[in-house]
Amino acid sequence: MKNATLNLRDLVILVADPSPYMCMLANSMLRGFGANKAMDARSSIDAIQILTEQKIDILLCDNLLPPHGGLKLTQAIRRNVNNPNRTVPILIMTSDTRESTIKSARDAGANMVVAKPMSPSSLYDRLSWIAFNPRNFVDAPTYFGPDRRFKIEGFPTGVGRRQGDNAIEVSEETGPTLAQDDIDNLFNSSRVG
Amino acid sequence: MSHMPNSNGAREFPVETDFQKKARRPGGVTRNQAVGDAQAQIETLKEDFNDWLKDGLDRLQSAIQLAETYPDNAMLVEDAFRSSCELRDIGTTMGYELVTFVANRLCEVLNAIRNGADYDKVLIRCHIDALQLARQDSYRNVSPDQVPDLCDGLRRAAEHSGRIGK
Repeated sequence: MKNATLNLRDLVILVADPSPYMCMLANSMLRGFGANKAMDARSSIDAIQILTEQKIDILLCDNLLPPHGGLKLTQAIRRNVNNPNRTVPILIMTSDTRESTIKSARDAGANMVVAKPMSPSSLYDRLSWIAFNPRNFVDAPTYFGPDRRFKIEGFPTGVGRRQGDNAIEVSEETGPTLAQDDIDNLFNSSRVG
Repeated sequence: MSHMPNSNGAREFPVETDFQKKARRPGGVTRNQAVGDAQAQIETLKEDFNDWLKDGLDRLQSAIQLAETYPDNAMLVEDAFRSSCELRDIGTTMGYELVTFVANRLCEVLNAIRNGADYDKVLIRCHIDALQLARQDSYRNVSPDQVPDLCDGLRRAAEHSGRIGK
């Protein structure tokens, strides 16, 4: 994974952000990564229209995308059983990195969150993470999206999780914002086996 | 892993998207090369960025003037908030970390107003003045901790106003 290369050629990438400059900036980064098919949407309505008309390979979506917001858009994509893009990877871009916001993004069905302002390395790493860490999908009455459950893959020297161990719920955090590493940890929860 | 619904009615199934399949194809670019190439793309935008920054600040000031003129129109505060968000979200990427810092504080002020706080003209103008300073070319690549007086001044203004920073 660490030395893997990312091949974005001919992938259709939709960047949904109300700011034309932000779209241009994201597209510039993606071009630098080798992407050649990026498109823009300025609103959640535009994005839905594009998503119903054509197959998209990945969606980069601003958290505050008007008028509905990026998380509502994510939920709409995940909940629509007729949407051919229902399982499309969704990367939420946000400057609001409070833990509650990140958890909301995860619970809406986003694959990953990248903090704004973005750097090329932070964007590349999140795209790479999505590409090389596929997660099962969960279809539940209240949720459709990538598996959100944590998986402990074992401890060193053969010590494993005991059968009677229970998962614990960590109390809700409200105040401080998260660094990108902390955001990643909230998503680094796929059950691999 | 089960494809059958469990007792909660939840079903779990593997998905390999086209993105995952295609992005892992041979012939991709390494992280170092990709980041370097992306940085080079951004450098080409920097030539015109100061003009965009000036225009962005003009748009923000216009939005704020309208919001001050029609304080009961929530959409005008929303416009000002979004203009401020745009400066915040782009500044650091383009080498203007101080723009992001000040715009972020202004976003907090405007967000408080969106949520019902009183409109404090003086506090907002303090932030606009700070943004005018931060957009100067001489402040490019200057981080907030290199201008503690400016940052403390904004914090004190916010505390005085009672909006943020307490």
